[in-house]
Amino acid sequence: MRGSPLLRALLAFLAILALGWPLRRLTTASEAPREQPKAAVVEAKEVGLRLAFTLVPKSVTVRHLGEEVWSGTAPAAEMERTLKLAYPDAGIDLQFQIEWPADAPLAAMRATLTDPAGDAHEHSVWGQGSTDEVVTFP
Amino acid sequence: MKAHALSLLTLLALTLPSFADGKLRVSSFSTVLTELAQQVGGERVVVTAHVKPGVDPHEYEPKPADLKAVGEAQVILLSAKHMEGYVGKLKESTGTKGAVIEVGNGFASLKMKAEDDPNKIVEDPHWWHSITNMGKAVKVVREALSKASPADTAVFTDNAAKYLAKLGALQKWAKMELAKLPRDQRKLVTSHDAFQYFAKENGFTIYAIEGLSSADQPSSKKVGDIISTIKAQGVKAIFAEKIENPKVLKEITRESGAKLGGELYADGLGEGEAATYEGMYKHNVETIVKALQ
Repeated sequence: MRGSPLLRALLAFLAILALGWPLRRLTTASEAPREQPKAAVVEAKEVGLRLAFTLVPKSVTVRHLGEEVWSGTAPAAEMERTLKLAYPDAGIDLQFQIEWPADAPLAAMRATLTDPAGDAHEHSVWGQGSTDEVVTFP
Repeated sequence: MKAHALSLLTLLALTLPSFADGKLRVSSFSTVLTELAQQVGGERVVVTAHVKPGVDPHEYEPKPADLKAVGEAQVILLSAKHMEGYVGKLKESTGTKGAVIEVGNGFASLKMKAEDDPNKIVEDPHWWHSITNMGKAVKVVREALSKASPADTAVFTDNAAKYLAKLGALQKWAKMELAKLPRDQRKLVTSHDAFQYFAKENGFTIYAIEGLSSADQPSSKKVGDIISTIKAQGVKAIFAEKIENPKVLKEITRESGAKLGGELYADGLGEGEAATYEGMYKHNVETIVKALQ
């Protein structure tokens, strides 16, 4: 081992420096965040919805997760439709917006939902003027 | 008979302090109850707020000035469900003749692990995160004020009805907002186990992270379990309130991929937008919906 001590020290320093990068890669966890966890995707299935009114409303709108899924103007006293909705085991919330005729007395809507398993769930919504209500179906 | 009534009135006048303005003195040990007493009592009450917004009620201890105010109050409002561990001392040291109303004791309790001993199960004192419970509290306060000042019953009844209507509107708004979240995604991972009443009322499941609000380092197994739960449940965000262990939180968010969902008001009213019950509740709902949507 000949040569200047300064040169040897420099060579040793360069060798350590060369090892530093792979060592750092091995000992440090990645700073980049992992992909955000995704909830299990619930497949959309057919859901039956039947609405019966004590008084024919001017209009009715049904929303699911903020999106309009059914809307009708001057509907009949009874309406029925099959909707395709993601229906998790925890159930769903449907928002009903109903415009009742002006000066009409207190009226009611009976919503009957048939879930993908075939079970029927019923709920009444009462209102006068404008009704905006969220109903939870199990 | 008249003599009896007169001596009873004299006794009442001697035992309860009277004030020139004729207003009822109320002492409140909860930011939420302070608002409630002010709203229901209106101009007929003077409310002393002992626990100020932003103060942790779990850590609060009464000071001499508080004891003086309690001694002069005709109604003393407490959250109860063991939130105020000093209640016995308060009664003893002030010798208060006022009505001590432990508001939360009138509602059904949910259970939680004690903050100082996770092996111990206690009543969850955070009942006000249920709007239904708030409605019950309004009635409890209305009755307490009316009993202390029967002449003002009509005012208290009217004010309580108005406040109940506001709560009804708030509950309706919250249902509309939360309806944007699928029910299978209503999962709250929080550092402070304070949202059980909220969860029960709004269809959420709680996964509390023990150890994050403490200076103690949770074991690597515990951290691993939390990360596994977040991944398995597909939880998008964590709501950390009191972070004394940022390294652990960083590790959890990095490894699980969940983001920080923001700060929730767990222990009562805050300042700014959360200075009122309605503001506090709306902030919490909006923060949760934004993070989990």
